[in-house]
Amino acid sequence: MFLLAVSVDTDPELLLARVLDGLRFGSGYGALALALVMIYKATGVLNFAQGELALLGIYIAWALSVGWGWPIIIAVILAMFATATLAAGIERTIIRPFDPSNHLPLVIVTLGLFLAINSFVAVTWTTDLKALPSMFPKGNVFAVGVAHLTWSGLGMFITVLVMLGAVTLLLNRTKVGLAFRAVSSNIESAELVGIKVGQTLQFGWALAAAIGTLAGALLVPELQVLDPNVMLSTLVFAFAGAALGGLDSPKGAVIGGILVGLIRNVVVQSVSFIPSELSVGAAVFVILLVLLVKPSGLFGSSKVVRV
Amino acid sequence: MSEALLHVSDLEAAYGDVKVLHGIDFTVNVGDISVVLGANGAGKTTTLRAICGQVHTSGSIAFNGAEISQEATADIVRRGIAHVPQGRGTFPELTVTDNLEAGAFVRKDPEINADIDKWFEVFPVLGERPDQLAGSLSGGEQQMLAVARAMMSRPRLLLLDEPSLGLAPIIIEDLFGRLAAINADEGMTMLIVEQNANLALAVASHAYVLEAGTIAISGEPEVLSGDEAVRRAYLGY
Amino acid sequence: MTPRTIVEGSALHRRVQGANWSLWIITIAILPFLVAIPLKPSVFGNSYTIGLGNVNEAIAWAVAVLGLNLLTGFNGQLSLGNSFFVGTGAYLTGGLVQTYHWSYLSTLVVVIPVCLAIGLIVGVPALRIQGLYLALVTFGLAAVFPTIVKLDQLDRFTHGSNGLNIESKLLPADWMPIQGTLEAIRKIPLIGDWTGTDTFSSRQNEAIYAYFLLVMIAAASFLLARNLIKSRPGRALIAIRDNEIGAEVSGINLSLYKAGAFGASALLSGVAGTMLAIDKNFVSPDELGINFAIFLVVGLIVGGSANLKGSLIGGFAVIFVRQWATQTKEVPLIGWELNGPYGQMVLGILLIALMFAMPGGIAYGLTKIRSRIYRVVPADHRGEAPTG
Repeated sequence: MFLLAVSVDTDPELLLARVLDGLRFGSGYGALALALVMIYKATGVLNFAQGELALLGIYIAWALSVGWGWPIIIAVILAMFATATLAAGIERTIIRPFDPSNHLPLVIVTLGLFLAINSFVAVTWTTDLKALPSMFPKGNVFAVGVAHLTWSGLGMFITVLVMLGAVTLLLNRTKVGLAFRAVSSNIESAELVGIKVGQTLQFGWALAAAIGTLAGALLVPELQVLDPNVMLSTLVFAFAGAALGGLDSPKGAVIGGILVGLIRNVVVQSVSFIPSELSVGAAVFVILLVLLVKPSGLFGSSKVVRV
Repeated sequence: MSEALLHVSDLEAAYGDVKVLHGIDFTVNVGDISVVLGANGAGKTTTLRAICGQVHTSGSIAFNGAEISQEATADIVRRGIAHVPQGRGTFPELTVTDNLEAGAFVRKDPEINADIDKWFEVFPVLGERPDQLAGSLSGGEQQMLAVARAMMSRPRLLLLDEPSLGLAPIIIEDLFGRLAAINADEGMTMLIVEQNANLALAVASHAYVLEAGTIAISGEPEVLSGDEAVRRAYLGY
Repeated sequence: MTPRTIVEGSALHRRVQGANWSLWIITIAILPFLVAIPLKPSVFGNSYTIGLGNVNEAIAWAVAVLGLNLLTGFNGQLSLGNSFFVGTGAYLTGGLVQTYHWSYLSTLVVVIPVCLAIGLIVGVPALRIQGLYLALVTFGLAAVFPTIVKLDQLDRFTHGSNGLNIESKLLPADWMPIQGTLEAIRKIPLIGDWTGTDTFSSRQNEAIYAYFLLVMIAAASFLLARNLIKSRPGRALIAIRDNEIGAEVSGINLSLYKAGAFGASALLSGVAGTMLAIDKNFVSPDELGINFAIFLVVGLIVGGSANLKGSLIGGFAVIFVRQWATQTKEVPLIGWELNGPYGQMVLGILLIALMFAMPGGIAYGLTKIRSRIYRVVPADHRGEAPTG
C-alpha cells in the first residue's frame, strides 16, 4: 500500500529556498508563540483562544484595509489596539473571577472563547476565502535560481526580532515588566508587595492579543488565503515553537517558532517518505518529543512542582 | 502609654463555611514587637492574612487611624503594611536584586537603590549573590531575603508569619537577633506569629495567645512566660 | 418545603426507583415514533426542529462524551484529542462498510480493539505528560486527524477531503414490528396524536431501526462505564484524579490505570464513531477536527463532569443547542435578526457560562432540584429513618 522509499533532496538551491521559506513562516510562528508565552508566563495557562483572537484581529485589519481602503499598516495597528482592548475586557470579565492558581477551569474557558470567537468571525465575515494584503513591498531582496528572499520574508524576520527586543526590554527594564515577572513567579507575594495582580494579568492579556494579531497579519498574507480556519494549524505550529523554546521564555518562543518553521519547510519537504500534508503532524511530534524529553524546552526554566 | 498603630476589634474570618476567627481584639503599638502564639489551626496565619485583606472578614481593622478591613491587598500595602508570609514568600524565578526591587514596588522615590545596598549590608549573605535566583537560595537565606524584601517597601508595620518555620536553630537565633536589631535601629513595629514561643517571647514587648480562633491570654511576655498554666499549655515546659 | 426523606431500600424507595425506570423505558420506547416525522414547534416566531436524525446523533454524542468523561471527568486527564478516537471509529466503520461491504455492527469487531490499542499507545506518553501539557499534546492530536484522513495514500479508503459517503443502508428486518408499534402508540390518548396518521416511509423505518440499535449500543456503553466506575479500578481512577501522589503511595499502579483510562476512553469514543457512521451514513474529515474535540468538552462540562447522566445530557445539549441556536432567526423580545452558523458561538458561550454558574453541569443542577423534592438516606442498622 505504501511505497517507503527514503530519499533526501540535496539540491543546494532547493535547500536554500526551503530554508528561506522556513525562516519566513517560522518568524510568523515565533511571533504567535511569543503571544502564547506571554500568557503562559503570566498566568500558567495555555491560551487556546490565542489564535482565534489573532483571527479576529486579522479580519478587523482586512475590513479596514480591503473594505474601507485604509493603508494596511494603519489597519493592522488599529486591529492590534482593538484586540488588545477586547482581550483586556475578556480578562476582566471572564478570566479574573476564577482562581488564578487553578489552571484547568481557565483553560476550559479559553476553549469556550475559541468556539465563540471562531464562530463570531464566520458569522460576521462569512467563510468565503479572502486575501489580506501584506505590509511589505512585493518583490525579492535577492534571488538565486528557485531560492529567493522576499521583502516580506525579510520584513517578517526583522519584525519578530524587534518584537522580541521590545518585549525583553519591557520585561526587564520597566516597572510593569517587574510586576509581570513577579506575578508570574508568585502571585501571593506579588500581592503582598503591592502589585495589582489583576491589572498586571490584564496587561499581559492585552499585550499578548496585540502580539498575536501582528503575528497573524504577518503570516496570513504569506499563506495567501484568509478564512476562519486559517489560524488553526498556525496555532499548532506556534504551540510547537513555544514548547520547543520553553513555554515561559520569550526568546525561546521566537527561536522555537523559527526552528519549527525550518522543520516544516526543510525537514518535512526534503525527506520523501514524510508526506508534506503531515506537516501539522510533524509539529505535534515536536511537541510530544519536547514534553517527553525536556519539558522545559530549550530556554525555559524548569519549575519544581511542590508536593 | 504609646500610640496604637494597629487596632483590631471583633475580627471574624472564614474560609467558605469554615469560620476560623471568632471575634478577636488586639492592639499593636508603635515601636513594639507584638507576638501572637498558638497551636496549629488556632488562626494565627489567618489573622495576618485578614490584616492584609487576603481573606474575607468582618469586624474592624484600624491601621494608623484608618479603617482598612475592606481594602484590597495592594492598597493596604501602600498604606505601609509589609507581610512576610509563611514559607518565605520570595519570587523564586527572580534574582535577589529583582526581589528587592519588587519589594519597593509601591515606592516612587529615588532612594530605592540606596536601600538595596543598605539591606545588602544588613544581610551580607544576600549582598554576596545579587544575581542569583531566589529559588536557589537556602531556606535561611530565603527567609532573610523575604524580610529584606518586605522592608524594601519602607513599611510602618512588618508582619511575619512563622519566620522560624523549617530553619535550623542556629539560623533562627540569628534571624530573631536581626529582627530585634531592625526593631531597635529603625523603630520598626512588628507583629510576629510564632510557634517557637521562647524565642518569640524573648524579643517581644507584648504577647497574645490565640486559641481556636479567640484570644485566650494576653499580656507582657514576662507575665506569660511566668504563668504556670500558660507555660504548660502553650510553651511546652 | 422540606424534602421528603426516603430510606434506602424501603418499599417507598423501591417504588420511586421503579417509577423512574418505567418512565425512562417508556420514554425511550415511544420517543422515536413521536419524532420520526420531525416536530416543528414554533417559539417566539422561530421554528425549531426535533427530529429522529438529531436524536440519533445525540445518542452517539452521548457515548462520545461518556468516553471523554471516563478520562477527564473521572480520571482528571484533560484530553482535547478524543475526536481522534471518534474519527478513527467512524472511518473504520465507514471504510469497512463502503469498501469491504461489511455490515455496520460487525465493524465493531475491528473498531473496539483498534481504538483500545490506539488509546493505550497514546496513554503511555501521557504518563509523563500531565495537566495542561497533556491538553496541548491531545490538542495537536485532534488537529492532525483531518490531515491524516486526507493523505493520498489513504484516499482509496477515506475518499479524502470530500468525505466518505456510505452507500449501504441499515435495513430493518421484516419481522421487526415497527409499523405495528406505531399503530399501538396511536391508540394512546393525547400522545398518540403526535405521531400523525401517515404510514412511515422506508427512511423513517430505517431511522427508527437505527435508533433502537444506537440505544442498545449506548445502553451497553453506559452500563460498562457504570460498572467500571463502581468497581475497584474505577475507584482507583477517581483516587488518581483527586490526589495522584496519594494514590500512588496507596499502591495504585499509576501507569496501568492512567493508560487504561485512555484505552477505555478511546474504546468508547471509537464506538461513538461507529454510531455516528450508522446515523449519518457519511463521514467527513473536517467535522472531526479540533472543533469536534472542543464540542466534546462542552458536552462534558454542560452535562456534568464525573457524572454518567451528565454525559447523556451533554450529548443531547451539544446537538440540540447547536441546532436550535442556528434555527433562531430572530431574538425573542429584542427583535434582532440573526443569520449564520452561530450555533458554535452559543456552545462556546454556554461553556463559559456553565464554568461560572454551575461548574457541576446540568446533571448536578437536576440533582439539586430533586433533593428539594425528596432525598434518599441510607438505612441505619435498625432499618429506620434517622431523625433530625
